[in-house]
Amino acid sequence: MASEPNAESGPAGASPWGLALRRLRRNRVALAFGALLVLIVAFVLAAPLWAEQVAETGPNRGHTLEKIEVDGQQREVVDVEGRPIGPVWLGAGGKFFLGADGRLGRDEMVRLMYGGRASLFIGFSATLLTTVLATVLALLAGYYGGWVDSLISRVLDTIWAFPVLLLGIALGIALALGGLKIGPLEIPSGSIWITILIIGGVLVPYMARPLRGTVLSLREKEFVEAAVAGGAGPLRVMFGELLPNLSSTIIVFFTLGIANAMLFEAALSFLGVGVQPPDTSWGSMVGDGFELIGSSPLLTILPGTMIFLTVLSVNVFGDGLRDALDPRSKVLLEAHAGIAEPEGTPI
Amino acid sequence: MRKLGLILLVLGLAACSALGMTACGSGSSGKEGGTLTGSYASFPDYLDPALSYTAEGWTAMYDTYLPLLTYAHANGTDGNEIVPALAESLPKITNGDKTYTLTLRKGLEYSDGTPVKASDFKSSIERLFKLNSPGTQFYESIVGAEEFARTKSGDISGIEADDETGKITIELTRPRGTFTNELGMLFAALLPAGTPAKNLTAAPPPATGPYTIAKVEQGRAWSYVRNPAWARSNSELVSEVPDGHFDKIEISIVSNSSTQVNEIEQDETQWMQTPPPADSYPEIKDKYEGTQFRVEHPINLYFFWMNTSKAPFDDLKVRQAVNYAVDSRALERIYSGSLVAAHQILPEEMPGHEAFDLYPHSMAKAKELLAEANPSDRKITVWTNDEDVNKEAGVYYNGVLEELGFDTTLKVIKATVYFPPVIGSKKTPDLDTGWFDWYQDYPHPNDFFQPLLSGESIAPVFNTNFAQIDVPKLNEKIARLEQEQLGPEQETEYAELDREYMELAPLVPYGTNTVSTFVDSEIDLGKVIFNLTFGQDLTSFQLK
Repeated sequence: MASEPNAESGPAGASPWGLALRRLRRNRVALAFGALLVLIVAFVLAAPLWAEQVAETGPNRGHTLEKIEVDGQQREVVDVEGRPIGPVWLGAGGKFFLGADGRLGRDEMVRLMYGGRASLFIGFSATLLTTVLATVLALLAGYYGGWVDSLISRVLDTIWAFPVLLLGIALGIALALGGLKIGPLEIPSGSIWITILIIGGVLVPYMARPLRGTVLSLREKEFVEAAVAGGAGPLRVMFGELLPNLSSTIIVFFTLGIANAMLFEAALSFLGVGVQPPDTSWGSMVGDGFELIGSSPLLTILPGTMIFLTVLSVNVFGDGLRDALDPRSKVLLEAHAGIAEPEGTPI
Repeated sequence: MRKLGLILLVLGLAACSALGMTACGSGSSGKEGGTLTGSYASFPDYLDPALSYTAEGWTAMYDTYLPLLTYAHANGTDGNEIVPALAESLPKITNGDKTYTLTLRKGLEYSDGTPVKASDFKSSIERLFKLNSPGTQFYESIVGAEEFARTKSGDISGIEADDETGKITIELTRPRGTFTNELGMLFAALLPAGTPAKNLTAAPPPATGPYTIAKVEQGRAWSYVRNPAWARSNSELVSEVPDGHFDKIEISIVSNSSTQVNEIEQDETQWMQTPPPADSYPEIKDKYEGTQFRVEHPINLYFFWMNTSKAPFDDLKVRQAVNYAVDSRALERIYSGSLVAAHQILPEEMPGHEAFDLYPHSMAKAKELLAEANPSDRKITVWTNDEDVNKEAGVYYNGVLEELGFDTTLKVIKATVYFPPVIGSKKTPDLDTGWFDWYQDYPHPNDFFQPLLSGESIAPVFNTNFAQIDVPKLNEKIARLEQEQLGPEQETEYAELDREYMELAPLVPYGTNTVSTFVDSEIDLGKVIFNLTFGQDLTSFQLK
């Protein structure tokens, strides 16, 4: 990363958030990838606009038997042997810009944009769910310790013991038929929320365990003792004292978690247990395109590239954010990797 | 005069040359011996004739286990002819079509040298019931079979076998016009008495056909060698079954069909049982059709079903609207040209087929009918499985229903559990409409009407009447025709039945799917036989 050796130092009186922002602004690589992420988000948010104004079709609408005029010539969207039309760029006024998605003759560009919305939405929502659950569990386990810590830790260990992808697939298959019903909460099968719940749930231990460690060390700090001495109850200490001190760590985990959740969603959808047809995501587009990889490789390459760019930009930006919010963590990580000696007092 | 002589000479040479070529193409020339190598995309369900109920398994055992009767080793509808196999002749049917009498050929042996006995037929049928085989449904009409199925003890009293004379008498509880066909099914293949009533896929039982299964690596491969008993005695006795040209056949499992194609193209494997992947199907067809590739037309029906027992599909106009809305031409493209469009229940090669289309595609007509029906419940669930093209057919159908104004939820279920556990169970909620395909068990029209449309077939589990249509008048007609031997009169009635059901529109038939025979450059494609019931006949493969 391009951070300065003494990037963490700042003018006296600047707030920690102000200092972090300043450090982030100096990290040009992180900013560049942050900008790329913004572009990708803008691209997928523009999906309805492109679909209605340019492509004049929806993401799930098939055009198997239709013909379009490309540069003055009539061409079939899907030929009689089921081969989809390739990219026509602006030859048809933006319609089928990237060609058709397969034998159903859906507009690949429109599906790529809508698929990105689903991938990003699932990545964001699942990580938000993971973060909320992991933070609460980490605060409870770290603050109370004892049997509460043991119980929560063993539950997390049990989930951790399963290979995460296999657990996700198993849950996906189990919930594919009847959906999910827990008390008043009812989610029909095929809903995007099933995928969000699966990903959000199985990734909890991967965030909760390191957060719990941080809470354990924070609990011993003087400001916690002071709060307790001042008569603060457990809830006030956890959410009023510990949580603000965890925030920078949570933000970093959250950012990096989005990339992880997106990759997880892509894997589940590729395997047919994530986003269900006719809806799409980049992962399911890779899976669908894979069946036509010999004749139409772009159908796999395009969504695959979008996943790659998005995950890369989220990861690099997340790294930059971590460096900005908590410079010592970078030094510590480098120390663990044998890059540099740790400086200051380790947490 | 000299000129005329020259012309006659040239014509004579041309005629001789043509005759020679014809002889080459269909005669006995070609290499004998060697090893045929083939590939399947997945291991058959069973390599036990009593248990297998898939096209893959039946192809694998067509030339290994012989019933008393079999289907002619011939292409097209010629292969629908039932011919004697281990029996001397076709059954003598008496006693108001309730008694079938056959005689076992004398001198037959199993591959292990055990003599084939008439009582082996009885023990083989009893083994089906002991195993709870899916084939039991075809033999439940034998007197005592239902009791035997319940108790699994004693014997099936309706089968009498005399090992001395080879005479086999089968008594049925009621006439059953399909029973001759059912005697030709692999389920009725003879196995030695005392064959354990357990799945013998790992070590298949002794064979009576030209080949015997020599080695099985479950899930990976299996191989055949020539049946020694065939050369010794059976070949001469069972003239209706060919000897085969290869000494050995080795089949391996190659799960990736693109790899299967590569192996054929590089002459590493000589035959692939699986059709090429949809992606490369058109290219392979263009490149190899006629030389190494041939499209085959097994008897099947691809369709969408609509649950007539609940709204909105309890309304005839709604069902007719959906029939008008589905466009078979679109589905032909979705199936990459492997589908042959049709809009009726009986497929083309099935006896009784008479072509018609009551619902030529018209979205305007469909919308008009739906407006007239104006169903209050438009929230429906659409079911399909996750196999490559079937999933897309389901997505297409879902789109059509949405275009008609339904509020749809598409459920794509793993193919391995789609039927019977999911759509075959009445406990599954929201079984409104969905996709299915039906392949014939034997070439008899009853095999489509009885399971798919008769009210008697509506069952809590293993339900095959997905539309849950129950019309007493038509049920009676199916039941009556089932009791009669198939002839021109019955075929006409089945054709009428086809139209009567399509007028009620419980299904949206959209076509019959084709499969393919794809061989390498060394195999003589012209000689490969594809039987409509059993698939590729392994005895017909021969090197050029």
